[in-house]
Amino acid sequence: MKGLIFKDIMCLKKQFMVFCYVLIGTLAVSVMYVLSVRFGNLADINAEMFAENQMEPESIKNMSSFALIMFMLLPLSCVGDSLNAYEQDGKAGFSKLASTFPIPLQKRILSRFLSVFAILGIGIIFDTAIAALLSCLTDIMTFSEFMGVIVSAASLLAIYSSLSILYSNLLGYGKSTYVQLLSLFTIIVGYVLICFEKVKEVITNIGTTVVEDKDISIGTFWGFMDIIMHKAVILLALALAVMAVSYIITCIIAQRKRGVF
Amino acid sequence: MEEINNVIELKNVVRDYGDFKLDHISFAVPEGSVCGFIGQNGAGKTTTINLILDIINRDEGEINLFGKPVDQNHAYVREDVGVVFDEMGFHEFMTAKDINIMMKNIYKNWDEKVFFEYLKKFSLPSKKKCGAFSRGMRMKLQIAAALSHKAKLLIMDEPTSGLDPIVRNEIIGIFRDFVVEEDHTILLSSHITGDLEKIADEVVFIDGGKIVLSGNKDEILEKHGILKCKKEEASKVSETLIVGVEEEAYSTSILVNDRHAAAKLYPDMVMEEAALEDIMIYYVNAEKG
Repeated sequence: MKGLIFKDIMCLKKQFMVFCYVLIGTLAVSVMYVLSVRFGNLADINAEMFAENQMEPESIKNMSSFALIMFMLLPLSCVGDSLNAYEQDGKAGFSKLASTFPIPLQKRILSRFLSVFAILGIGIIFDTAIAALLSCLTDIMTFSEFMGVIVSAASLLAIYSSLSILYSNLLGYGKSTYVQLLSLFTIIVGYVLICFEKVKEVITNIGTTVVEDKDISIGTFWGFMDIIMHKAVILLALALAVMAVSYIITCIIAQRKRGVF
Repeated sequence: MEEINNVIELKNVVRDYGDFKLDHISFAVPEGSVCGFIGQNGAGKTTTINLILDIINRDEGEINLFGKPVDQNHAYVREDVGVVFDEMGFHEFMTAKDINIMMKNIYKNWDEKVFFEYLKKFSLPSKKKCGAFSRGMRMKLQIAAALSHKAKLLIMDEPTSGLDPIVRNEIIGIFRDFVVEEDHTILLSSHITGDLEKIADEVVFIDGGKIVLSGNKDEILEKHGILKCKKEEASKVSETLIVGVEEEAYSTSILVNDRHAAAKLYPDMVMEEAALEDIMIYYVNAEKG
């Protein structure tokens, strides 16, 4: 089974150079951003907005946090798509060869899910290093808040990858666009169902006074950021649950579709 | 009497695709033998091999590999099976070194030293991406991988198809070396009967999803013969001897299933030896009708 995980990591070879550039770029831009917020133009702009009562300190902090979160997500996003490994398997006809290995079908599928952990682990390691550096340079976010973001992002990507594996097995090789769309659609539907009351509140209040719209939508948005920074365990638990369910369903589909490459 | 161990056993195996059906096929491959599995394109060779390797589900019947039933609970049995398909299966970006890293973490008995020795023997570069290999090189790479984990059984699906005669001969030589060990067995499917005549001990002939003929290759070749006669003489030949008939411009060729008997009964007619290819063609044409 380890061999299959190594193989999936090797499939990232093509993305390696892109990953290096993204990593260097993320590091450079996020350090520059942090220094600018502390000492540079952004510090001046924030001070001006606070002095003119245009923004609350809390909102300024949240906006800065949001920008950093976006930077942090880039390295993870670069490695987080396991669909590439599946498509490469299909292109090479590897699935048929893998069927001849002394590894039962369930373990072969498990190895694909474990590959997701391994691949995300690479992104997490690099993001953690960036987080450690940034937390030393700024007080916008603490190291634990950075780690919360990393774990949340990895959890969301794990959910997406698990669903991709499931839909890839269901639809077969060559349907990557449909797999991506279905995975995203499932996540959106899942989010709407979980946060149905909140979504309903936002939607029903669209078209009312501008101030109330802004408060609700911003409140919802900062609430979501609060979850990803401080309540990453919830997303992690959800990711593990989705992976477990996806694994079981994928095994059932793969057993029925054996021999269809 | 020495007990024959069958490495592969199929009993009444059925796989129905709707437009094609593998219909209650049964045969066995004895340990230490080279079994040639022949048939025309679409006869069911690949389907049978896929069933033996548990790549696809069977609808009915039993398949045993090394005495153990073929199912997901006995996947460990494939530790002793080396497989070669007509398509490589490795990712094109992988080098032989990458393949070594992957395979040594899959097979318990993977021998890195043996693998690299085979690469050297086959003149395969270890650092070149296998996507850049020629067809012959890809086949040799697969064979190197199949032979590097102490496999006792090699299962090969059209391993020599698309290769030039020199490379085919080289590969047949590798297979001969493999079966020098008494407990080594090969199941080799091909529609290139010339290769099988060189190496096979046993032959199984499949056509239209059914086993038409199976047994010792030399016995099959010894039994069958082609009777050449004039068109008007063809009707004299006993129906029980006739497998298939081919009408030519001025004569008729009849494949008989007992050439010694036919030679005695029809001494005026010319009896020729039949090659595996001839046997295959006559049986297929007889089936068509």
